[in-house]
Amino acid sequence: MMSVENEFDDKTLRERIAENPRPAMLWVAGLVVLMALELGSIAAAVLRVGSVVKFAIGGIANTPSWMAGFVSESLGSIGGTIAYGLTALALLVIAAIVVKWLFVPFSIVDRLGLELGVGKADVVERAIVTAVVGVVTLLFVATPLGAAVDAVIGALTQGLESISSLQTLTSRETIPNQGYQLPDGSWEGTWLGLSPAMAWGARVLLIYAYAFGLLAWFWRGYNVFRNHYREADWTPRDDSVNRFRNHYWGVFGFVVVFVFVVMALWAPALSPVTAEANLYSPYEHEVQYYDEEIEDVASIPHGEANLETRSVGGDSNVGLMSYDKYDRFHPAGTNQDGKDLFTFLAYGSQVSLVIGLLATGLMTLVATALALMTAYYKGLLDLLTVVVSDSIISLPRLLVVLLLSVVFMEANHPIATIYDGGLLLALIFAATGWPLLWRAVRGPALQVAEEEWVDAARSYGQSPVETMKKHMSPYIAGYMLVYASMTLGGVIIGVAALSFLGFGVQPPTPEWGRAVYEGRPYVPTSSWHTATIPGLMVVFLVTAFNALGDGIRDAIDPESDASGDEAGTSAAASGGGG
Amino acid sequence: MSQHMSESESEPRRDADRRVSSDQHGETLIEVDDLKTYYEGNDFFGGQPVKAVDGVNFEIARGETLGLVGESGCGKTTLGRTLIRLEEATDGEVRYDGTEVTSLSGSDLKQWRRNAQMVFQDPQSSLNDRMTIGEIVREPLDVHDWKTPRERREHVRDLLETVGLQKEHYYRYPHQFSGGQRQRIGIARALALEPEFVVLDEPVSALDVSVQAKVLNLLEDLQDEFGLTYLFIAHDLSVVRHICDRVAVMYLGNILEIGPTEELFENPANPYTHALLSAIPEPDPTVDRDRIILNGTPPSPRDPPSGCPFSTRCPAKIRPEEYADMDDDVWEAINLFRVLLDERARADLSIRDRVREFRGKNVRFDEITEVRSELFGDLDLSADVERHVDQAQEYVEAGEFDRAREYLAEEFDSICDREAPSLCTVGDAGRSSACHRHDDEYASPDEEL
Repeated sequence: MMSVENEFDDKTLRERIAENPRPAMLWVAGLVVLMALELGSIAAAVLRVGSVVKFAIGGIANTPSWMAGFVSESLGSIGGTIAYGLTALALLVIAAIVVKWLFVPFSIVDRLGLELGVGKADVVERAIVTAVVGVVTLLFVATPLGAAVDAVIGALTQGLESISSLQTLTSRETIPNQGYQLPDGSWEGTWLGLSPAMAWGARVLLIYAYAFGLLAWFWRGYNVFRNHYREADWTPRDDSVNRFRNHYWGVFGFVVVFVFVVMALWAPALSPVTAEANLYSPYEHEVQYYDEEIEDVASIPHGEANLETRSVGGDSNVGLMSYDKYDRFHPAGTNQDGKDLFTFLAYGSQVSLVIGLLATGLMTLVATALALMTAYYKGLLDLLTVVVSDSIISLPRLLVVLLLSVVFMEANHPIATIYDGGLLLALIFAATGWPLLWRAVRGPALQVAEEEWVDAARSYGQSPVETMKKHMSPYIAGYMLVYASMTLGGVIIGVAALSFLGFGVQPPTPEWGRAVYEGRPYVPTSSWHTATIPGLMVVFLVTAFNALGDGIRDAIDPESDASGDEAGTSAAASGGGG
Repeated sequence: MSQHMSESESEPRRDADRRVSSDQHGETLIEVDDLKTYYEGNDFFGGQPVKAVDGVNFEIARGETLGLVGESGCGKTTLGRTLIRLEEATDGEVRYDGTEVTSLSGSDLKQWRRNAQMVFQDPQSSLNDRMTIGEIVREPLDVHDWKTPRERREHVRDLLETVGLQKEHYYRYPHQFSGGQRQRIGIARALALEPEFVVLDEPVSALDVSVQAKVLNLLEDLQDEFGLTYLFIAHDLSVVRHICDRVAVMYLGNILEIGPTEELFENPANPYTHALLSAIPEPDPTVDRDRIILNGTPPSPRDPPSGCPFSTRCPAKIRPEEYADMDDDVWEAINLFRVLLDERARADLSIRDRVREFRGKNVRFDEITEVRSELFGDLDLSADVERHVDQAQEYVEAGEFDRAREYLAEEFDSICDREAPSLCTVGDAGRSSACHRHDDEYASPDEEL
């Protein structure tokens, strides 16, 4: 029955590429060029991620002693020591699971030739990995090895730092827009002597051209893979992609969301002034301008200049696309403090994006795991989850969010200090939002759990976890994507609403809702833009996220057009309510 | 008295029966002993379980095909699923090659699962649409860490050819295949681990007739090639006659008759088998046949009849001696009357009806006089029978259902209502059937029908 000679012998992707390298090489070459243009920013991004990881690891490494301190307060030092050991062990076990999952695709027990039952083998396998991880950790802590690794990382960091100082294509230094106008009308200090408005416009165009070019290049990469290297000539995903491309409402949503994401990622380069000068320390940065009284170039701190350029209605107003008296260009005017509104908005989109993605990501994670488990096991677990989620849903969400954020902020809890309360907000929104998501995918999850292929998987002994991963989660993922994208809009509105009430992200970190709140008194005056522009942006962005969700849903499930509409609107409604 | 006789006789007979079947088809592979599978009631507070499989005994010899037939909802699929441990047995034993299967767990269960696989009914639902054919068929091999990945892929490609597909189909998706082809993929997956025993759960009922024959032939070829043992669940009797060596007839969670296919089809012993076979359409319009049409629907498996499971609908139900020469129509009407009473007494009431009942209203049977005239209107009742029916009606009108039922039971109950019949040997080829009429005391079902 087995034929050793097989004409359809399998090739890995690498072998397939080696056979026909041209399209892949071309694509990679293009990507390298695009990346090289932005090498400095990439290095900076790696550094930032590295520092976050370092911070997180440091925090995790401190948990045993934190727990020990906690326990020894009530149970004495022996209890503290035991708590230290237990916490450390628990952390090691968790680390071992991750290590096994990521780096050890084979079974160590099998390699060692140990004869054990399947259940025991799993335990022994984990124990071995845990022991190895524990030994490695000890080596790091107790031997010079740790110091050596530290040195290597330090050297790497230094290298990256020097790279990150390289100028990139889209950085603000490439096309500077800050300058001053001489009496003869010419501009000093700007790019090619253009007016700051033109220079800024050119930079924005360049950034978006680059971003869309990158996107197009990745799309091209997908097509190259599809045409030259994929073994299946058709997959169900192809149809979904084609349907999405013809779904104009969805594509509109995607484009707006993409524009927003680019705005968040390139905020430092898109804004006409740096955040430091504009938002955080305006009195430590100076602006040069041509003073007509002394007929010479003079300089003044941004903070002082801002006092003269406030948009508070009446004569004191710097509107859209205009210059102030210090020759600073404001694409969206200034706000009531005289600061550049566009800079505020660009950096504010970062905050919205981080909080929105973090909260939605956590929610999605919890909701998916629960949906899979409750649909597979049903029974008591399902009942418990129903009770818990119904209890959470029955609470008025905005009030709970408000209450929790105030309690944590007033108590000065350490979590509330991270990202000026942004992390706290994300956690609160996730904790109060997962039941809605879970409810939304519970039906599909129960449905897919009844499919015969799930039974089939059980009949040949597939483990529950694998069954959920392979046979159930792909069918929920589509719904999850839809509802998550809609919820993301809800979270952004929620954060804005909280900031509007004065409880969200604290100044000076920019947040759209706070801009609406602070500009509110000037809506009927000539400075209407201070609240209207950020408000419109929130509306626009949330609409775009809902449109994207609609598009994804229709793309994934062509039959959901009629029936899915209701679910969509209700989810949008509930998302908007958050 | 007769009960003792029949039980004491049937026990040794059953053992003899086993030996006969083993001799014919080689050694026994699967032995099922008093197997019960109950589903717990949906009620929070317990309630009656659904007795999907209610004590069945049979065995399957290595290499044979046992057909399992019966109406929808008679528990045949549940029985098949219990045999391969997709459902938990409530009671009883399943022995596979001598190993007790129902109590296996953990790694032993996983290892055992290699031996027994299942082909599912619906080819649309049994394949995960998001995986390629190759991944689907390979998954059992991956689960059991079968040899090396490369050998697995080769094995899968060979399997695809074995079931009549092509090696190139490895990277296709289920969408790209017809129902018959999808069922072939399901068969390939079931065979991937080289099992000995395969449960075929109505494998062709969802397919076009033209495709059915091809898939059935494939199944027969595979059985010859790999020496497979099949449990073939079906409700299409002609398909069963075509493919099965032996057939078991199931009704309400019980096996009423089991035996070699041809003999069972030519000369059915059990009244239910008679009724079932008479439902096969006859292609020749000139042939005159008596179709046996059964009254009503099968009783709820939550609350099966106390005696023979088929007693509520049996056309050959044994009558008490004093009514032996009663008119057939009257006897039928009385039985219907009793079934109606039973059902009404058991029916779930709405809250409103419960309140009305609490206030003394006769909600369960307020139209008793109409029912009576409907059932007995044009019949000529003897004075005796008329008196009993009147008495029962009186009780019903007074709201005393249980008393009415008890009264009728006392008067009209026969052995069929009181005792469940056990399987006893009929014919020469190791066939057994569960019916009180196989006792010498009573006329056989053949004579009665």
